[in-house]
Amino acid sequence: MLLYYFIFSLLISLSILFFKKKKLSNSLIIVFLLGQIAITLFAYQNINQTDSAFFKFDALGILFTMILSILSIASFYYSRFYLDYKDSSIKNESYYYSLFILFIVAMTAANFAQNMAILWVFVETTTLLVAGLVYFDRSKIAIEASWKYLFIGSIGIAIAFIGILFISVVDIKNGVMALNFDELIQHTKQLNPLWVKISFLFILTGFSVKLSSVPLFPASIDAKTVAPGPVNALMSTALINVGFITIFRFFVVFSHTDSFLWVRNVILIAAISSLIFSAIQLFKVKRYTRLYAFSSMEHVSLVLLGLYTGGIAYYAAILHLIFHSFIKAGLFYQITGIKQTYHSVWFKDSGNYFRIRPIDALVVLLGLILITAIPPSGLFFTELTIFKGLFLSNNIFIAILSLLLLTIIIYIIAKKIMHLLYGVQPKTYKETTNTSNKYAFIPVLILFALTIFIGIHPPHFISELINSSIVLLK
Amino acid sequence: MDYIFILTLAATLVLFALFERVKKFIFLISFQGVLLFGIALINLLHINTLELVLILLETIVVKSIIIPIFLRKMTIQNQLKRVHEVNVPVFYSIIFTSFFILGSFLLSSFLQLPNINSRIFSIGFASVIFGIYFIAIHKNIFSHLIGYLIIENGIFLFSVGVGSQMPLLIGLAILLDVLIGVLIIGIFVNKVKDRFQSIDIAQLSQLKD
Repeated sequence: MLLYYFIFSLLISLSILFFKKKKLSNSLIIVFLLGQIAITLFAYQNINQTDSAFFKFDALGILFTMILSILSIASFYYSRFYLDYKDSSIKNESYYYSLFILFIVAMTAANFAQNMAILWVFVETTTLLVAGLVYFDRSKIAIEASWKYLFIGSIGIAIAFIGILFISVVDIKNGVMALNFDELIQHTKQLNPLWVKISFLFILTGFSVKLSSVPLFPASIDAKTVAPGPVNALMSTALINVGFITIFRFFVVFSHTDSFLWVRNVILIAAISSLIFSAIQLFKVKRYTRLYAFSSMEHVSLVLLGLYTGGIAYYAAILHLIFHSFIKAGLFYQITGIKQTYHSVWFKDSGNYFRIRPIDALVVLLGLILITAIPPSGLFFTELTIFKGLFLSNNIFIAILSLLLLTIIIYIIAKKIMHLLYGVQPKTYKETTNTSNKYAFIPVLILFALTIFIGIHPPHFISELINSSIVLLK
Repeated sequence: MDYIFILTLAATLVLFALFERVKKFIFLISFQGVLLFGIALINLLHINTLELVLILLETIVVKSIIIPIFLRKMTIQNQLKRVHEVNVPVFYSIIFTSFFILGSFLLSSFLQLPNINSRIFSIGFASVIFGIYFIAIHKNIFSHLIGYLIIENGIFLFSVGVGSQMPLLIGLAILLDVLIGVLIIGIFVNKVKDRFQSIDIAQLSQLKD
């Protein structure tokens, strides 16, 4: 089925690129979105079934694809505002939509990839597509950001490939290669501990560009600083989920080896150093896009801490990603509104948003409450669980250090958002150039409401999918 | 027999450190493609015709012909002739490169990796390390692309060294992905040159807050 979905999406993408007709593009996007929803439902109905030789509809893949599909609809909706704001030509619009569709397809494929090499191929594909989308603005900083993302991303992925090579060769003497995750789990006893350790280092380093964690996070932060809002919303959520699913799949395999303690310690180092870096860097940021990008890095660190802690924290880590996806996407959609109002995303050009756009400001305030994990935010429950896990497993020093860093991060984020909401109105602001849409806040509000709802009353199918995802972990 | 190929490959790494002319970099990249084909042919056992075609496509067609032609076009378009801006003097670079090669061979003999072709593994490791070093010492993004290609060649050697033979379809997908990646990186080098009037990496520092 996935093969048909790929062909179908590719045809739609190519048609948009070649025909360059506005009405046709809009209709084709709707058709694509219907296809995206259909494949998500199909996957859910055929859970744990293998598809198109290299793919499998497993629980975590389904969960992340559900999030991706919901956010895709919202992203296309906001793309309209973004493109209108940019006053882009039909040629540029077609280029944008065409790449955007392929980007969503590549992420869907990566979510379901059961074969390591195929997973690698689609993650690399997302690098190429993101570079193209970041370049959309054609400005000097857009070229700089896309170059850095493309180059560092490609080198990272190349390094990850070495890790995949090392882990896949199970029995070299007889030429046995296990490229499927399921197959690899059965062969974990044959793996050489030294190779396991080296390969995990390579894999974590390589895919850290997608996960936005230490060591290769700068490329992803730079790309998020200039990427179009709707693209940014997916890069900071669905693409981070792809990065997570990639590392998580290897993590599950490594949990069956004797080197698991070592792997967990590496995860801990990555988590704590990411948290420290994001706290330090947040002092320096001067743009909202960069602020949100570092905030994503902070949440990824917490998710990695969840992986390190284990037990109930596994559940919390995945749930944390779901909440983070909805909230962060909402905040990035709001960026388009801020851009339309002030024509800038710099702190210095913003202020007094409550007076200028009261409803939008209220939504931003709600977003701030949710992203800083203040109840009723779902993130409050997940963070509580992760820290509870840390305390119970006697990692008191790590827990206190993380809480301290988190306090700094929350303080900076709140301070900057408060500046936007209540700060002095910038002299550069003109009512006449304010082009923001009155009703653009509605989908953001829906996403935020969804987060609160899932936090208070998680639907049964979500709990079931998360539990099935972590069942293989030892 | 593969000793000759491996030693020649090691020599190309030293030459990369020695040369400054862009034309010679492209020649070396092309030549490495031929050497990779030789090494793969000798070392991959149980090879069937389709796999042979894939390797031929990967090494000779892509690495020795398509990418060098593309790079050549790029240098003509951007009028690149010589790479002046190197952070480390050539003499030291040659010493470092020799250390990388020697170090890799010593490391693999020290680790005594079971069932691995340690000669190929060593030169692959040296290529990856040298590629990263090459990127670090050069200040222009065209040389960074060359560094990336050296790393890619190193990874190809790794895959031969561990005896990995990917299924044909996956091999093709990887090859296509890498090729498109290199072409897009190349296109971005052109974009940077057009927009910044230079390919110096120092120009690309406006994003910092």
